[in-house]
Amino acid sequence: MRQLLLAAAALLSVGGTAQAATDIDFFFPVPVQGKLAIEMTRVVEGFNASQSDVHVTPVYTGSYDDTNLKTRAAISAGKPPAVALMSANFIREYAIDQKAMSLDGLISKGGQTPQAFIGEFFPAVRPNATEDGHVYGVPFHNSTPILYYSVEAFQQAGLDPEKPPVTWQEWVDDAKKLTKHDGDHLVQAGVEIVSSYDYLGWLTSGFAMSNGGDYFNHGWGGEVYYNTPSTIGAVQFLDDLVHKHKVMPEGVIDASAASSAFFSGRTAMMVASTGALGFVRDNMKKPFKVAFMPRAMRNAAPIGGASLLIPTGNSPERQQAAWKLISYLTSPAVNGAWSRFTGYFAPRMAAYDLPEMKAYLAQDPNAKVAIDQLAYGEPWFATFNTVGVRKALEDQVQAVLSGKAKPAEAMAQAQKDADALLRPYVEQTALKLPQ
Amino acid sequence: MVAVLLLAPSLLFLAAFTYWPVFGVVLRSLTEKRFGQTAAWGFDNFTRLFGDTHFHRVLINTLLYAVGTIVPSLVIALFLAVALSKPGRLTGLLRTILVLPQMIPLVAAAALYVFIFLPGEGLLDHYLAYFGRYATNWLGSPELALPSVILITIWKNTGYYMLFFLAGLAGIPADLLEAARIDGANGWRRFRDITLPLLGPTFAFVGVIAMVNALVQIDHIIVMTGGGPSDSTNMILYYIYQQAEQNLDLGLASAATVVCVGGLLVLALLSLRTLERGMHYES
Amino acid sequence: MKAERVFLLLAALAGLLWLAPFAWMAVASMRPDAPGQADLASLWPSGPFGWDNYRDAWESGHFPLWYLNTALLCVGILAVQMVTVSLAGYAFARIDFPGRSTVFALFLLQLLLPPAVLVVPNLQMIVHLGLFDSLAGIAAPYCASAFGVFLMRQTFRSIPRDFEEAARIDGASRLQIIRHILLPMAWPGLASFAVVSVSSHWNEFLWPLMAVSSPQHQVLTVGLASFTLASESGGSWGVIAAGTALVALPLLLGFTLLQRRFTASLASTGLK
Repeated sequence: MRQLLLAAAALLSVGGTAQAATDIDFFFPVPVQGKLAIEMTRVVEGFNASQSDVHVTPVYTGSYDDTNLKTRAAISAGKPPAVALMSANFIREYAIDQKAMSLDGLISKGGQTPQAFIGEFFPAVRPNATEDGHVYGVPFHNSTPILYYSVEAFQQAGLDPEKPPVTWQEWVDDAKKLTKHDGDHLVQAGVEIVSSYDYLGWLTSGFAMSNGGDYFNHGWGGEVYYNTPSTIGAVQFLDDLVHKHKVMPEGVIDASAASSAFFSGRTAMMVASTGALGFVRDNMKKPFKVAFMPRAMRNAAPIGGASLLIPTGNSPERQQAAWKLISYLTSPAVNGAWSRFTGYFAPRMAAYDLPEMKAYLAQDPNAKVAIDQLAYGEPWFATFNTVGVRKALEDQVQAVLSGKAKPAEAMAQAQKDADALLRPYVEQTALKLPQ
Repeated sequence: MVAVLLLAPSLLFLAAFTYWPVFGVVLRSLTEKRFGQTAAWGFDNFTRLFGDTHFHRVLINTLLYAVGTIVPSLVIALFLAVALSKPGRLTGLLRTILVLPQMIPLVAAAALYVFIFLPGEGLLDHYLAYFGRYATNWLGSPELALPSVILITIWKNTGYYMLFFLAGLAGIPADLLEAARIDGANGWRRFRDITLPLLGPTFAFVGVIAMVNALVQIDHIIVMTGGGPSDSTNMILYYIYQQAEQNLDLGLASAATVVCVGGLLVLALLSLRTLERGMHYES
Repeated sequence: MKAERVFLLLAALAGLLWLAPFAWMAVASMRPDAPGQADLASLWPSGPFGWDNYRDAWESGHFPLWYLNTALLCVGILAVQMVTVSLAGYAFARIDFPGRSTVFALFLLQLLLPPAVLVVPNLQMIVHLGLFDSLAGIAAPYCASAFGVFLMRQTFRSIPRDFEEAARIDGASRLQIIRHILLPMAWPGLASFAVVSVSSHWNEFLWPLMAVSSPQHQVLTVGLASFTLASESGGSWGVIAAGTALVALPLLLGFTLLQRRFTASLASTGLK
């Protein structure tokens, strides 16, 4: 019944109503498992109930990639949403393409300088939210990859659950002890790493950075470093996990397959986003713990997550209303509550000063791991045509994971494909020299 | 004239949403517009398209997918039609069951098959385990992903094609077959010499529908594999969708659409004769 | 005859295989969810049963909205199609005009150029017409139906001309003849077409996906995809099965009840 009323209300609101409040829409994705869409709707309803100037319609728009598509489509058709929760690494492209507005003006109106404003968020998330020194996105929830592992499996293999692997070498050694074979076949995997589109690019960047390298040019969206020893080494490591050490199944593993395997005990360890912590907590019936991503040369954790942006093409009225929503969603209390529900960490540092957050971290040490790993946080991969350039890498790494390619040639091909996609941008920027 | 007036509503929609778009996409494919530049005429989009290794892969995949879905579907559909051509409770029930997959959206089938193909816990691996097979990464291995997707398409369409063959079989005069039987021809001879030739127009019609379906039915690829792993399930329509929506490269998407439409038009020329003949069979 | 028996047996086997996914859908949707449990894939009904999954699916998605949109879309398309295909079918069946076969070929060609192939230019067309992100925008490319025109041409041709001649003598205009004499007599053909039209548009995905961006205009297929295949419900297979059932059941039921209409429409495309 309630659904029907909501539906009727949604249909009616298309034509516009004569309310005094400003009506705005808010596109948001749900990129990891869990009942996040329902919770977000609840949070927005809380905002609507708390004041009467702005009425927000939350619109669930699928995955990060889908939300990007829908937002761009809406902008092209002249009906942009007032606020969109956008994957943090897409903010750069929106700024380059001038599809999102700079938030400096709205920040200043609130009485702060943009630098002071962004200074209230963890350092690791700041680079993805700004472009050219201007603030384009306000970080909302962030994650890092973490290592989930089954306490029971560790104990059975004679390993100490309080001592998860810290280096790649330890990781391989532990994984070998945790793997069970039946002849040639993997019956219990040592580890499963999610390798579907978007996830894989993110995780690979972490491995490459841990292996010493810098995966992309942080300051300019025209360069990526796939065909470099650090990246090749990282991909070789993934290849070895499957084909040399035989601790990971061959082929591409998507998030639901990895989590199903973890829950049913078919894998002892799993590499996934901390944003799935809530989901794993609800569904893993056996005891589990989480740990930092093991390191090669150094600890490095790419930041994932999303920031709120305001697309171009919105009237000043809508912009004001949008800013009110953004301020609410990123306020320490609301941001903290969302973090506790999902497992994402709250990028707003002040959220960790609140008593609820302190109690939560004391009670659930797993949640603290992602926060602690932030000390090693690196920005998320962002370039011109991020999705295409990312897929150029992912297609090759997937081929390596499936035994169809060797890391060196795969990375050479990935670099070639990526460079071809970056060429139009490069020609108009770095290679456009004075006549 | 009266005819024009009567045809006007249909022609209006045809013009707006079939023929003008074809014209428009040809124009668009010949317009080049890259980041930060103004539009210009040229064949750049086509040069890029045919030089793209992904596109080469797409053409191969599309061909494999077409052959892999059409041949088994038609053969199985014909067999089922022959097996179930007599009326009866059991045959009626089986006919209904076999057509059910056609009634659900392909994305619904995809949702079910993601579970069916789940490594280890999924339906397929669960029952294959009884035969001693281990967990297989059906949708995650480049060699198995395309066959898996083909399997889904065959499951979905075969029943529907069976209906066409049933209609075709019903139209074969019973006395012809009876006469041949009296003459001493056995079942196989009757099938080969009478039934098959008379099913010619049905084959042509179903063949065309199957070919269009092979090009157009990619919903499951969009939601299950995203063209991967490593391009192994990338089809021409998926490529078009990807270029248009993800890479925002409308020039390339238009060029690929032109190639796709061109292929379909060639198909049209080749089969138009047989289609028309089939239509006029009755008159 | 032995061969017939063997064939029937093989067909029955095929039937069982074909039914398996639906069997799983039914069983899993009623089984309480617990990811990682051993009998996720079991086809045997086991353990306690409940409607929990259906309730969860109903609450996580927007099924009433999706049903409404899809129904509006299909009915709207059908209404327009009835007009376009009846008029055009009549013209091809009864009027001998110059260039008839060329124009008919133009219609035939549309069978080979479904809206899915022309998404890129069609998207620009509906943005141009201001129809982006609306049900009308989704409906527009489907309104002319070549299949429908064939069907109506065949149907009209099979009606003896005497009725029309009599009406003509009485002074009726063509439109009146179509409306009052031909359409009622063509009812079986129209009904069959209606069944095919609604079922095929109910299941369309790619075009509705691209033509609409806001959730209030989403149809069942797009809603289902975002519901089951986004990570939102990843791993909750029972809920996914229930959600899929919610989308699939209306047409499955409709088909079992209206089978005859469906098969009749295929037969009357004149394949004999």
